[in-house]
Amino acid sequence: MKMVTESEWEVNVPDKQLKDKVYFENLKSVVIDTEMCSRCLTCAAICPGGITVVNNKVDFPDYETKCLDCGACVRVCPRFVYEPKSGLGDYIEFTAGRSKRFAGQDGAMVTEFIVSAMEMGLIDRGLFAGRDENWATEMFHVRDSEQLTITTLGGTKYTFADVLPELKKAVMFTKSGVGVIGTPCIVSGIRKLQQEFPIFREKVKLVVGLFCTENFHYDDISNFLKAKGVDFSKLVKTDITKGKFISTMTDGKVKFKVTEAEDIVASGCNVCTDFTAVESDASCGSVGSAKGFSTVVVRTEVAKKVIEFIRAKGHADFGDADPAQLDFLIGHKKKRAENIKR
Amino acid sequence: MEEVINELMGTIMSNQLNIPALQPVLDSVSQLPVVGLLISFILWKPVFALLICPGLSTVGILLLFFPWVERKLCGRIQWRVGPREIVPWLGGLIQLLADTLRFLFQEVIVHKDAHRPYFLQFAFLSFIAALLPLLFLNAGNVIAIETPYAIQAMLALVCLFPFFILGLGWASNSRFAYIGTVREAFMYFAYEISFIIAVIAMVVLYGTSNPLEMADKPWGLILNPIAAFTFFVGAAMATSRMPFEIAEADQEVAAGPHVEYSGIAFGLIYVMCYEKAYILCGLMTVLFLGGGSGPDIPGITPLLGNDLMGIVWFLIKTIIVLTTLFVLRTIYPRYRLDQGLNIGWGAMITLSLIALALSIVLVQGGIVL
Amino acid sequence: MKKVTVPEQSTVEKAVRHAAAIGVAVKESVYPLTATVQYPRQRKKMPDNFRGYILFDPEKCINCWECAFICPANAIRMKEAPNKKYYPTIDYGRCIFCHFCIDSCSGGALRATKIHDVAYKDMDEMLTLTEEMIEPPEIIREDKKLVEYQIDEKDLRLKKTREEDNLIVEKAPPPVEIQMVSQCIDRASCIGCHVCEHVCESGAISSSIANGVMRMKIDTDTCTGCGLCVKECSMQILTLVRK
Repeated sequence: MKMVTESEWEVNVPDKQLKDKVYFENLKSVVIDTEMCSRCLTCAAICPGGITVVNNKVDFPDYETKCLDCGACVRVCPRFVYEPKSGLGDYIEFTAGRSKRFAGQDGAMVTEFIVSAMEMGLIDRGLFAGRDENWATEMFHVRDSEQLTITTLGGTKYTFADVLPELKKAVMFTKSGVGVIGTPCIVSGIRKLQQEFPIFREKVKLVVGLFCTENFHYDDISNFLKAKGVDFSKLVKTDITKGKFISTMTDGKVKFKVTEAEDIVASGCNVCTDFTAVESDASCGSVGSAKGFSTVVVRTEVAKKVIEFIRAKGHADFGDADPAQLDFLIGHKKKRAENIKR
Repeated sequence: MEEVINELMGTIMSNQLNIPALQPVLDSVSQLPVVGLLISFILWKPVFALLICPGLSTVGILLLFFPWVERKLCGRIQWRVGPREIVPWLGGLIQLLADTLRFLFQEVIVHKDAHRPYFLQFAFLSFIAALLPLLFLNAGNVIAIETPYAIQAMLALVCLFPFFILGLGWASNSRFAYIGTVREAFMYFAYEISFIIAVIAMVVLYGTSNPLEMADKPWGLILNPIAAFTFFVGAAMATSRMPFEIAEADQEVAAGPHVEYSGIAFGLIYVMCYEKAYILCGLMTVLFLGGGSGPDIPGITPLLGNDLMGIVWFLIKTIIVLTTLFVLRTIYPRYRLDQGLNIGWGAMITLSLIALALSIVLVQGGIVL
Repeated sequence: MKKVTVPEQSTVEKAVRHAAAIGVAVKESVYPLTATVQYPRQRKKMPDNFRGYILFDPEKCINCWECAFICPANAIRMKEAPNKKYYPTIDYGRCIFCHFCIDSCSGGALRATKIHDVAYKDMDEMLTLTEEMIEPPEIIREDKKLVEYQIDEKDLRLKKTREEDNLIVEKAPPPVEIQMVSQCIDRASCIGCHVCEHVCESGAISSSIANGVMRMKIDTDTCTGCGLCVKECSMQILTLVRK
């Protein structure tokens, strides 16, 4: 055991924009009420009180009495001091891959990334977003590749998942490290956490970002899809390809243009300019590669090691990817910078 | 008719137990018509031997109290208390009486796979078989049937026990009883040969097999200690006492051949073990410890008379041997079956042959007449 | 593989050992020792730190739940009392009498007694509620003698005295207490929520804000090592260390 020397320490307290209000109220007025909130739940992850989601909005019931006024939420919120990122970002390698072991969206390279990192011993658990029978997201701690035989873990759901609150639990449990998958907003939340708190820097070893145009609240999208005639009990897969939302069911497909769903896109997505998760270790998505392949953008040395491990073991086929194909969507999201009011 | 009665009375009166201290009382009582006849009948030595000592009454009293003595003594040696709860101020003395009552009133369960007639018969037959050798056992000069072949007859009857025990196990028709029975059978073969040779060694040594004549000779324990040792170990095996409690091994096969028995049937088998032990210890006293012979004690011997003193000495020696046999269980742990057989067929037979050779040498060398 | 064999002994050696064994039997039959305590007429004198029935003093309870957390048999459940505090209940059907609860109780609210012979009619009755734990249970005392084992170099003797043992330990012998103190292991990860300061019963944790910097301080002298802050810290950066 350590000797008693560490009984005094200092904590930097962030500035308040509203001086005489608690920090949550600051967050509420700056981020949530201005519809800037991306619902990444970084604040909920760090909050020792009770930040949670109420009616698709981040909220803190009874914050007047229960908020401890520590400022942690303000410190970690990626949109409190918003530095919009866009473009393709720096990368080491731009390629396309298809996992030989797993089935998922397109090439299932995200799953392959996490499992390979686990096999390398880099991490001991990966966080996956699964779903229940009504397609509501649930988080899973995957500690063994056998767990991935649960088919609901793979595939995109196009609804928000509570990745970050679960990430905090995973960080507390883990021995060697955690691998996590997230949309660009979640990735920037993780980076913010890592910037503020060394424990996340130490334990979150691999962050795989997803290409993301927009995301939907579960209530909205489920009502919308039901109205379109999608039966959740038969739904197998959802996908957005070439501007079309395709719901594949056991007995047919329902297709419609994404623009039809524009009204129900989450408000935070309107100010998001990041398509490729610039801050992640590696980004994956279907755009930019042939059908059945995933585009992989390797950005950091950690991700480079993982992809070399995959190559060495022959877990995946690799193909060609074209960065130019991403330009349209990157540009499409870049335009949203206009929506930022501050 | 009168002649026959007179002759019979003459036989009875000529072979009366002589007790000098009670003689005046007996003389006055014998004048009474029926009681006098009865008393002189009981005091007729063969009947006295059968009914009083070493016969039924002695066996009964020993059976009532010896298990208690054994448990109490073993308890003392093993730092325990032993039976205590029934009449605590007597140290649980009548524990076995209570047990007997319990056995008597308990239901005798005959399970459905058992061979019912034999199952019940063998329990009682084995008890009777264990009583038969008493006919030839003498306490001093009191003996039921006086014959020059008494030792051989006893030996033959002692060797009869196993049949009934095996019968018990067979009639039980249960696997535990079967295991116990097979073990018992193994052990019988292991001890019996050396046991018989040890007895023969003594018969050779004494030159007679009449127990009444043996009493006058020097103690067999001193003349041929090897035979005495072999006989003692054989007795321990025959009675399934602790170091050779292989057949009845409590922890393994519950109670060996009689695992299925309950109630008075079990009670009889339970006391039969003690009966067997008593008879073998009596035989040991006769063969090796000079039977009823003992030094005259001034003041007491004249009062009790030679006949009664013979009985007293016999009982004292027998009880000492019995106690020694029982205390063995506190000293030695149980042998395994293979170890028991090894001892029986190896060491015991060797020792008994040595004992026989020693006897022959002693007799041929003229050391013993 | 090594085979276990019977130790080699000559016949003389064996005979000597047999004689020694018989000698012990003879000695014990003449002058025996006894190890039996005739409970319930006699009662063995238990040491003051005997692990028996557990008593509870609500005045000293600091609501730290440590007893319930540490219980390896899950015998202790916390129940809400009318004063909105949570107090332990013990299910003696599960209790293994390890007394971890007593050892872990930083307020000293739980204490041991020498009572080991409480009878229950059924399993439900074995669930002892908080109010039943305050007073010692009713037991029937039949003991007339107090038996004490006295072990000298060779033998064990029973010392029997005509007295009744007090089963309630008035003043338990002080245990070898390991002084623990709370300490921050990752000071940079502190979010400054001062939950630890709120829960601390002894007031050992303090904080002060000056120039946008919050100073957290754990006073190692006043800290009782109860572990409440360790449990409550949302970042799990506090731990207990030896003083």
